[in-house]
Amino acid sequence: MSQCSPNALCFGDGLPGAGVPCHAEVNPAGLVLDLGEASAETIPFSSFSIDAGGFDHDHLVLKWQARSGSRTLYLKDPHLIRAFRQAAPPELTAHVERTAQQVRRARHGRRTILLVALGSLVGLILLLWLGSDTLVQMAVSRIPVEWEQPIGEAARSQFLAGQTVVKEGPAVAAVQEITKRLADAAPGNPYKFEVTVVRSDVVNAFALPGGYVVVFTGLLKKAESPEEVAGVLAHELNHVLLRHGLERIVKTAGLVAVVTIVVGDQQGLVGLAKRLGVELLTLKFGREQETQADLQGLQLLHRAKIAPDGMIHFFERLSESDKLQVEILSTHPMSAARADRLKAEAASLSRQTPEPFSFEWSAVQAGL
Amino acid sequence: MKSEILYPGAFPMVRVELAAGETVKAESGAMVACSPTVDVESKMEGGFLGALSRRMLSGEKFFFQTLRATRGAGEVLLAPTVPGDIVILELDGVNEYLVQKDGFLAGADSVKIESKMQSLSRGLLGGEGFFILRMSGTGTLVLNSFGAIHKVELKPDQEYIVDNSHLVAWTATTSYNIEKASAGWIASFTSGEGLVCRFRGPGVVYIQSRNPGGFGNWIRQFIPVSE
Repeated sequence: MSQCSPNALCFGDGLPGAGVPCHAEVNPAGLVLDLGEASAETIPFSSFSIDAGGFDHDHLVLKWQARSGSRTLYLKDPHLIRAFRQAAPPELTAHVERTAQQVRRARHGRRTILLVALGSLVGLILLLWLGSDTLVQMAVSRIPVEWEQPIGEAARSQFLAGQTVVKEGPAVAAVQEITKRLADAAPGNPYKFEVTVVRSDVVNAFALPGGYVVVFTGLLKKAESPEEVAGVLAHELNHVLLRHGLERIVKTAGLVAVVTIVVGDQQGLVGLAKRLGVELLTLKFGREQETQADLQGLQLLHRAKIAPDGMIHFFERLSESDKLQVEILSTHPMSAARADRLKAEAASLSRQTPEPFSFEWSAVQAGL
Repeated sequence: MKSEILYPGAFPMVRVELAAGETVKAESGAMVACSPTVDVESKMEGGFLGALSRRMLSGEKFFFQTLRATRGAGEVLLAPTVPGDIVILELDGVNEYLVQKDGFLAGADSVKIESKMQSLSRGLLGGEGFFILRMSGTGTLVLNSFGAIHKVELKPDQEYIVDNSHLVAWTATTSYNIEKASAGWIASFTSGEGLVCRFRGPGVVYIQSRNPGGFGNWIRQFIPVSE
């Protein structure tokens, strides 16, 4: 081999299959090729036929007939290829340009495919990101109501494990009556609401998917009238009717939940709900969901012929007094905007005479 | 760096002799034994992103191990995971090899390794994945296969057809296309060959005498299923 380092591979009759590394140089007469055997030979430009080749189409392939048979030379070095293009006569250059064009097109095509693939991936992610609410609602609408029961049941028994349940008494009867009036007034209500009264000073109430309602005695103590309790319950029942808890599960658990639902695996969904816990099912609704539950709650009160301002009073009164001990306010803060919205909505409802409840509120409170 | 194959055949090993200060890079976990003068380091070839892309794209390992004769000359014994032949190639700066993702065993420090995207049809159908390794630079390159390694030399424009799961490596001057094994689609799959690669010379193609995927399917029937 010559002193110069090889910059091309030569193939052909009588040469090894892997090719012979050789050194090529361009001069005005043609290509000087040093195969390392004898003296370098100069091959005139006129004897070449030109093509592009190699894995990436980035080799310049020169073919010619030598005395010892046909020869094929693969050039990779960009400097050498440029020198060859500059020195070659016009009729050969035209062919080189055409070949280069071909290579560029092949590379461009590959880049386009890569870009399209990347673009569609990004598009898909964006679609999932922006359309996630729609997707969640679609998934939720596929869940049959019967599936909600085990989910809510699982969450309720998990919650009630450490609590004292009030089994009977005027308070339980009163809450049941309020719930029944609201449930009967809800149009097309598929749920059978089941009320549990829990002995606790915490001022709170919540409803779980499937229609499991939990009311704390603290809330009943703080309420000045059954209309105030009804206001809170109307809001909570609407979280169930509007399936906000399920939306929450699907949103949090994401794809797993959606797949579970589409495949129809109820057990998996219950397991998910258990993992997420009762807090997630009840307390952390989005602002949009709260507004929805507020407005629908007011309309439900109106339909049930219960004075709709109880709820507004209750929250306003509570937020003025002791803010810290009232748990329901931490998740339902009574902002001025919320009060205004509720008042405006209440004012827009047609006037009607409220029907009283069958119990005495003072007797209910005395029994707590 | 001098290397020789010990026990050629199904269970070979490579002995690499390193001069003081010399290094060899090998597939992670390839070292069997070495002189006390040699230090084992792990290295992300091509930097973090290069290593990441190699890991993500070609399925090759994230780290290579680098064996450095820090305290004087020494030797290193290297072996692949799977039973099969080893071949030692010399890169001279001009020739380049494209290697399927499990084919790399070791290489001199001056050997450059990068992942290379194949065209869409080759990537989808070739059975090698979208990304393969491209070896360039200078120095010794050691490849391993599953089964025996067979070398096919192709003259310019000579064609040869290889079942794609039997490919180990080929030179960058060879081009190839994916096609179905028989004239019809159904015959292609019922003949058990499915898709094949039609290589076109000049260059060299290394093929392995056993198909790892086929062997995996065969051995699966003997593995007890745990409840």
